[in-house]
Amino acid sequence: MKPEYHKKLQIAARQTILIHRADTLIRIILRTIVTSLKVKHAGIFIYDKVKDEYVVKVSRGHAGLRVPAGFAKIRKGSPLVRYFTDKSINLPKEHILWSKILSRIKYCKTKKDVKIRRFLEALKFEFSLYGAKACIPGFFRKDLVGILFLGEKRNKKSFGEEELRFLSVLASDVVMALKNAWLIEDLNRQIDINKRLLFQTVAALASSIEAKDKYTIGHTERVANYCLAIAYALKKREKIEGWEKFLENLKIAALFHDIGKIGIPESILNKEVALNEEEKKIIQSHPLIGANILNHIEEFREALEGVKYHHEKHDGSGYPYHLKGRKIPLIASIIALADTFDAMITDRPYRRGMSQDKAIEEIRKVKGIQFAPHVVDAFLKIYHSKGKLLELNKQISRHLLFSKENTF
Amino acid sequence: MGTEKKKVLIVDDEIEIVDFLSRFLQRLGVTAIKASSGEEALRKYNEAHPDSIFLDIQMPDKDGLTILKEIKKIDTAVKVIMITGKDDKELQAKAKKYGALDYITKPLDLSELSAKINDYIL
Repeated sequence: MKPEYHKKLQIAARQTILIHRADTLIRIILRTIVTSLKVKHAGIFIYDKVKDEYVVKVSRGHAGLRVPAGFAKIRKGSPLVRYFTDKSINLPKEHILWSKILSRIKYCKTKKDVKIRRFLEALKFEFSLYGAKACIPGFFRKDLVGILFLGEKRNKKSFGEEELRFLSVLASDVVMALKNAWLIEDLNRQIDINKRLLFQTVAALASSIEAKDKYTIGHTERVANYCLAIAYALKKREKIEGWEKFLENLKIAALFHDIGKIGIPESILNKEVALNEEEKKIIQSHPLIGANILNHIEEFREALEGVKYHHEKHDGSGYPYHLKGRKIPLIASIIALADTFDAMITDRPYRRGMSQDKAIEEIRKVKGIQFAPHVVDAFLKIYHSKGKLLELNKQISRHLLFSKENTF
Repeated sequence: MGTEKKKVLIVDDEIEIVDFLSRFLQRLGVTAIKASSGEEALRKYNEAHPDSIFLDIQMPDKDGLTILKEIKKIDTAVKVIMITGKDDKELQAKAKKYGALDYITKPLDLSELSAKINDYIL
């Protein structure tokens, strides 16, 4: 009859496929080894790419014997690592047993054995530091990724051939789990870098309009922040389809909502008296100009809607398409409200900005006329729970645009 | 070398580390005394008067540097080796200033640790 531990080890091995977190899997494997092989303790050195050394990352077993996780390391030049990686050391690489080290030292009798004897003595010393009786390497191709080390068995017996074979299987499972985890980590890091780059590029482009239109300085960023706050408040009250993507598109659209003003003459943008009909028409073309600019970027197709329709009004009296009610995409309804609110409270060349309380009052009056009712409700909710939005805006500031975690 | 066993006090709020280190030292023929907080460390110090101390620099109740100063006030000859999780040059300089013999950073190389124990303690 096959011993029970075989089954347990096989189960642990199979879990490699099911468990995506490498550390969880390694913990399970070590627990299985300690309980099934009845060793006093066991641990694993894992290669640390940054420090270029091997650190005990997980350990199990008796207090005092198990090496605390994160407490100890071995360097690349240590006897244990060299045993497995140095080709000039001509000894079996599948594992090292304490008993084999002792017997090999005994064999070293002639003068030409001095070098290997010295190496084996150093290896023996290293084994004793960790209380190790067996070490099993984990390789990925030619790279030593980890080393499994086992303490003495509770019954003090030596490890059998079959046990050692199973340990090798487990070691290679650990390696696969680690490699996968590292791959995913690298991938996620790359995605994060790309996303950051994207938002920074968007922010840089969006701020180009500020060079031309003095009024927009800071405006774009504030509007983007209000938009995010509204979106989070809305999400608490209703289901928003594809939330993560929605939020990304909203950030981009909010930052780009006035990008079309690049195509409007400065003389009109910065005019200090009321505009005539002709000039109004020109300035009202900025949502479409903006949409045309963004149309070149496929990834921005949905964000584009926020730019294109951010001057539409709930009752159909907005521009350029006179869309009504739910025909206006949510992304645009949010920007419309945030944009208007910021415009109301900001000083203009020809008038002072109104107080926040007054602006809120005005917005409440046109709920369901100029703005979508549920968007206004969400906005009022933030205003009442968070206090003045301007202060809120200072708090959340720029990093909100780039961070993943938003706390509304 | 005296016939009496050397006494070493091990101070760390992580009991796992205290247990491992004391076992490690016992194997080298040293009497290990355990403490897992700053208060306990001072009490055990006054009871046992160890020759040397392994002292964790960050502990919740009292930080290692404070303990170092207090112990050095009692006995300037006691050998103190600081252990820390971060490689902080400023802390290191402070520890040296207050009279610590050495400063080791986790994760540590156990063969180096063993060499240091040989040099400082045995």
